[in-house]
Amino acid sequence: MKTLLKNGLKAGIPFGIVSIFLFLIGFNSTIADIILKFIKIDDKTVVFGLTSRPLALLMFMGVIGFWAGTNSGRKIKNKTSSVIILSTLAGLTHGVLVALVSYTIGSLSESGLKINTYLAAMLTQTIKLFLLDKTPLAGAVFMLIFLTIMGALGGLVSFSYDRANTRQKMVSGWKNLTVKINQQPVVRHIQTNPLTRYILYGLILICLIVVPLIAGSYWNYTIGTVGIYVLLGLGLNIIVGMSGLLVLGYVAFFAIGAYTVSLLTAPLPHHLMWNFWWTIPIAMLLAALAGILLGIPVLRMRGDYLAIVTLGFGEIIRILIKSDLLTSFTGGPKGVTAVGGPTLFGRPFSSEIDFVYLIFLAVLFAIFVTVRLQNSRVGRAWEAMREDETVSRAMGIDTLWQKLLAFAIGAALAGLAGVFFASRNQFTGPEDHSLMVSINVLSVVIVGGMGSIPGVIAGAFVLKGLPEILRELENYRVLTFGALLVIMMLVRPEGLIPPSRRKLDTNQDAVLDSKKQDERPE
Amino acid sequence: MAMLEVTNLHTYYGNIHALKGISLTIEQGEIVTLIGANGAGKTTTLRAICGLVKTQGGTIQLESEDLNPYKAHQIVYKGVSMVPEGRGVFARLSVSENLDLGAYSLPDRKTRDADLEKVFTIFPRLKEREKQIAGTLSGGEQQMLAIGRALMAHPRLLLLDEPSMGLSPILVESIFSTVKDINRQGTTILLVEQNAQMALTIADRAYVLESGIIAMQGKGSELLEDPRVIKAYLGGQ
Repeated sequence: MKTLLKNGLKAGIPFGIVSIFLFLIGFNSTIADIILKFIKIDDKTVVFGLTSRPLALLMFMGVIGFWAGTNSGRKIKNKTSSVIILSTLAGLTHGVLVALVSYTIGSLSESGLKINTYLAAMLTQTIKLFLLDKTPLAGAVFMLIFLTIMGALGGLVSFSYDRANTRQKMVSGWKNLTVKINQQPVVRHIQTNPLTRYILYGLILICLIVVPLIAGSYWNYTIGTVGIYVLLGLGLNIIVGMSGLLVLGYVAFFAIGAYTVSLLTAPLPHHLMWNFWWTIPIAMLLAALAGILLGIPVLRMRGDYLAIVTLGFGEIIRILIKSDLLTSFTGGPKGVTAVGGPTLFGRPFSSEIDFVYLIFLAVLFAIFVTVRLQNSRVGRAWEAMREDETVSRAMGIDTLWQKLLAFAIGAALAGLAGVFFASRNQFTGPEDHSLMVSINVLSVVIVGGMGSIPGVIAGAFVLKGLPEILRELENYRVLTFGALLVIMMLVRPEGLIPPSRRKLDTNQDAVLDSKKQDERPE
Repeated sequence: MAMLEVTNLHTYYGNIHALKGISLTIEQGEIVTLIGANGAGKTTTLRAICGLVKTQGGTIQLESEDLNPYKAHQIVYKGVSMVPEGRGVFARLSVSENLDLGAYSLPDRKTRDADLEKVFTIFPRLKEREKQIAGTLSGGEQQMLAIGRALMAHPRLLLLDEPSMGLSPILVESIFSTVKDINRQGTTILLVEQNAQMALTIADRAYVLESGIIAMQGKGSELLEDPRVIKAYLGGQ
């Protein structure tokens, strides 16, 4: 009984903490709004004296409460009574914690204290919503009972539910299904027919042409942003995915591209007003050059050290741009406005649509470059270098030169992305080039699947496109981003669409690790 | 003209004086072995010859040409190829990709196919596993792959670092007889080994390395009977 009590508390407390945290940052009310967006609840619907928004909130809290119950009941399988006691206890603990906090905050708010001066998200209406538009005491008690019941329910459902077994069943079921589908003669025929490939490419191409035409200017802006991140991702993929150099300051090259086009085409601060098209090769060249210059001193370092050193790159560039020293040259903290855009046959690129096509072209170019590199001598050298640097030197690969090459090519693509970014926004400033950009791009590559072109595209869509679709989560973007990364790394560490080789890796990692044991040097 | 002539070689790892003036010569067509205990400096000597370890004093000459100004990757082009300690195969690449990388220094596609065939006749096992990921090969197969990969570079001097490491006695024997075969076909070999018995049996000449200096040298067969060698390295009385 005592251990049961202990386990119940243990299972409930983390959920209590999470729920309180989500409450304190006001996440619950946002989720309630999103739920209402998907499930239409009539404003006049009243259940237990609750209107639509509190009901939506309860749905979300219910899921967490239920989860707390299932989670606690998972460990015991055979004794129904103890499972239910345990999950009820977990639910109760969860409920008590949430109720205590919400009651305290609710009554403080009721007494006229402005909580949001301490906790920015704790607006009076958010608190009221969490207390289900009731008095603090009634709301808290309601929540307590609700969470306890949900916990107990969760425990009931989780009883005799074997997680590992179910997961395995699902995996093998999925495998069987795909094998069966692949064995169908029709599918086989389509797969082996070389035409299929071209038809597929054709369809993608048609989509690429048609989608921007029907999407509005807002969506085209989003598609453009995704495209820019695909471009950045493909560039970083060459550095991180293909040649295995962990670089955290990738934004530096993006900034160089953006500032090249800005300073050359804008009226201020230099009044150069060059033609946009000329600035593309210049920006790429400058970015590549920067890659080489920054690379020479640091590329002798390996792995983690390289990551830390390159972390500095991005910040140095950003701070230099901002500095008083260079204000007259770069426009300083205020940035550069009225950046020039491209013109084609005398017609300026005014709408988002033009930029979308331009970015598509650039992405196609980047894909072409990547594919060509992958199948070249250089690509093989990178692969070897990523595997074992010392041995690849003993094979005759000039690793320093190869690293510089990867750096230069990756940087040039970032420069290209920077050009489009600045010219599309007609503005660039130092804050466009913060560390967050580097982290985002790296996440695009890792979430998508390191070393895989479709992976990078998928990663950019998930990380840059989805947040636009779920605009309500705007304030919690970083939170959801972090949660997504954690989940991704747990569930699919090789990325969304891993290259075929990486897929092999994760299956064979165990074998490789055991082999590694006897490969340690003296 | 000696194939390789090392004179008074010194290297340091930080403050540790790893090689304290090593001198050795390898004549064209020989198998020379370097034996010694753990940490005696055998691997360091090999790595210094390949340019993977910086030398601090002394010279390394390949057919009278000083190797000092060359970097590791350039030395491969001079005809020196290494089978690294612990095999060092590219674990995530396939067997054929590994072999391909061995020929990195010879960009000519045509000779490569012929070389590949040659390696496959020496190691038929590799042919069977051509498409397999190298990391999933057995230890012996990985060793074969490492040797095959080194041969792909057309070495005149082949450096082998402990090819017997972690292999069963039968495999060790077969690897050593292959090494002997490779030597017969004209490749000069420098073999670093802890398995002194096997190494001395196939070697023309041998050097015994003890904490960074050459303690003994002589013909392989003579050292096999030398009481000091027997006591220290062959486990005998």
